[in-house]
Amino acid sequence: MMMLQHGSTQLLCLTASSGVPLFTRGASKQLPFSVIGSLNGVHMFGGGQEVVLSSCETEGGGRVVWRVFQDSVMLIAVSGGGQGSGGGQGGAGGSKEEEVRLQRLLENVWSCMVLVLGQDELTNVRNVERLKRDLRSCFSLIDQLLEDRQEGILGNLTHCADSLLPPNPTLLQEAVDGFAQASDSEFGCLIVHGRIAAATEKWWRLAPQEVVLLSALMRSLSASGSASCDYPVFLPQGSPTVAHRLLRFQLLPGADVCVLCGPTPSLHRAESGIVGRFWTPLVETLRDCLAVGERCLPPSVSLRPDVLALLLINRETRRSVSCVRTLTNHPLGDPPLPSKARCWELLKLFYIFSTTRYFTQEEALCVSPEEKAQRGNTEDFVLGFSHQPLQCYLVTEECKSYGLQTPQHQLFLLIPLSVPTFALRTVATQTLSDIVAAPGF
Amino acid sequence: MTQVPPSSGSIVVADWHRCKDSKEYFSKILHKKRRKNFGLLESPVMPPHVAVDTVHYKIFISGKSGVGKTALAARLAGLNIPNMHYETTGIETTVVYWPAKLRENGRVFFFRLQLWDCGENALRRFDHLLPACKEQVDAVLFLFSFTDRTSFDDLSTQMAKWTGTPAGRVVKLVVGTKFDLFMHCDVAERDVRDFQEKWSLPVLRVGGEVSDGLGDVAPLLNCLAENLWHQDCVTAESARHHSQQDTGTLL
Ligand SMILES: Nc1nc2c(ncn2[C@@H]2O[C@H](COP(=O)(O)OP(=O)(O)OP(=O)(O)O)[C@@H](O)[C@H]2O)c(=O)[nH]1
Ligand SMILES: [Mg+2]
Repeated sequence: MMMLQHGSTQLLCLTASSGVPLFTRGASKQLPFSVIGSLNGVHMFGGGQEVVLSSCETEGGGRVVWRVFQDSVMLIAVSGGGQGSGGGQGGAGGSKEEEVRLQRLLENVWSCMVLVLGQDELTNVRNVERLKRDLRSCFSLIDQLLEDRQEGILGNLTHCADSLLPPNPTLLQEAVDGFAQASDSEFGCLIVHGRIAAATEKWWRLAPQEVVLLSALMRSLSASGSASCDYPVFLPQGSPTVAHRLLRFQLLPGADVCVLCGPTPSLHRAESGIVGRFWTPLVETLRDCLAVGERCLPPSVSLRPDVLALLLINRETRRSVSCVRTLTNHPLGDPPLPSKARCWELLKLFYIFSTTRYFTQEEALCVSPEEKAQRGNTEDFVLGFSHQPLQCYLVTEECKSYGLQTPQHQLFLLIPLSVPTFALRTVATQTLSDIVAAPGF
Repeated sequence: MTQVPPSSGSIVVADWHRCKDSKEYFSKILHKKRRKNFGLLESPVMPPHVAVDTVHYKIFISGKSGVGKTALAARLAGLNIPNMHYETTGIETTVVYWPAKLRENGRVFFFRLQLWDCGENALRRFDHLLPACKEQVDAVLFLFSFTDRTSFDDLSTQMAKWTGTPAGRVVKLVVGTKFDLFMHCDVAERDVRDFQEKWSLPVLRVGGEVSDGLGDVAPLLNCLAENLWHQDCVTAESARHHSQQDTGTLL
């Protein structure tokens, strides 16, 4: 059965108890009601047999993934298949990768719903019509997750915060700390080009998916070009039933600072009394930080010329830096390098490929405890080794990929085909030490 | 007390952006022929010999969900106008810098207009948002949509909520959005005229493609600047009056 066009994803949301449709998003052509009914029905049927149906593949290469949250809301993701695979990435980009991507999507969508509406409204449904209406306020974030368009943002997948290493971290750190304190808050964060450049210690103690979710919200607010915001937000883990206030200020276009706070200070007071005091002296520092751009790394870090793209995760702090570089094509006869957009896609696929097959994850991807018991094929596979794999590589028609893990870091690299395979390891270890030498990572 | 608004163009030079002498001021709010987006740490900078004062105002945009509040704020600031309706789930403020020239003495000011936009459904769900919007507000834009009759009929109820506010005088303006969708127009010109007469408030119309970035927003921004300036003059006048009285009694 071919349910949707290749490459498109549709999201369905229903009440878990009675299967009343709450909303659908994504894909230009909506699935017919009968199909939605069947997708719900087959999951319910499983439930009756004490089987949790979590994922299936269709003959046409499509995928369906189900998940029930808090016994109240069922989310179903349907993809037409083919997302990001195409071309010759044989190993990565298969159905397994698609399943992981959709699992992550459902989890993130649920978090969004809690962020905007709070858990109570989603779990104690008294009036379905009202819930349907209120859910519309989540569509902006949900569509952003579905489109997943912003290049260079991997946090939705990795649940590690996309970060930028500023040239002058100490000054910015002090300013964020002082600014948060003056705003009666312990949670403050500076976001540059959509990535965290500095944050208070408490910010890093938020659950990793909260950090990622708040970054996503900040990116969408920042993209609108507005000057400041006062947004009520629930924290899916830390405060699912009591809203906090997210105050956000656009210091310079592309550089935003935010704090999570209680009833005080008012937006007006924070903006007129506190923002200028802490940030006016740092205008030039902020401009230097903006100049780092999408490279995410300060000029002091130089990368080997044969690194096409990289994703580096700090496993302890759950932060990541990533970049795709524009390399000049090598001499004639060499196969052309993948485009920038394709590199980002390949980086994501290789990340899923490595973390589902070889590397362990701090936070097992998208699996609820009850499902974990039943699934576990990845874990079994990894556990089947008596050793923990430390490195892995993959050669495809488009490029070579190399993964490396240490107790503290995980590094994922894309390297041009022209680099001989035996040299990959050296490229990887050297790149790791080049970046880790930078303060703060 | 109803305050008679100044007639259009009586205080601020209308269409000043078309005059040659405005060029050096407007160039400061433009970048590559588009409106410049200023962060909170930035503002238009004039050369040192041209000292220009900046006057700050807070403006609240009021109107039901989907009427076009967020779109209006983006339009006035020259930002990308969203073409989908995504509910605003909190308060968002947008800063607009607008140079205006006073007729009386030829002085030029930068008006820094901070537009406060709060999604209607968020206002209903969270009690603390409306007081934050009302705090020290200088003006309210009441929005209705030309394609939605109920939003027009609802105006008087909306405005009633703002009469007799203790916070002192507030400039009130009415803005009709989606004027470009005349095929779906649900509010007749005559109704708008009647409304305008009854309330003696300016009613402005917006909608359609953004053309040169200045011409389509100039009438609204000049009107706002004019009314805000006028209100300040009236307030200053009565304050002087009051303080004279106070001194009188003291002596
Ligand atoms: N054609 C046209 N469309 C408009 C105009 N103003 C707003 N819209 C559209 O109307 C829809 C709703 O506009 P918004 O500005 O998001 O509505 P809002 O008042 O902010 O709504 P809430 O945030 O829910 O309170 C969007 O799809 C806009 O593109 C206009 O002047 N002309
Ligand atoms: Mg809005």
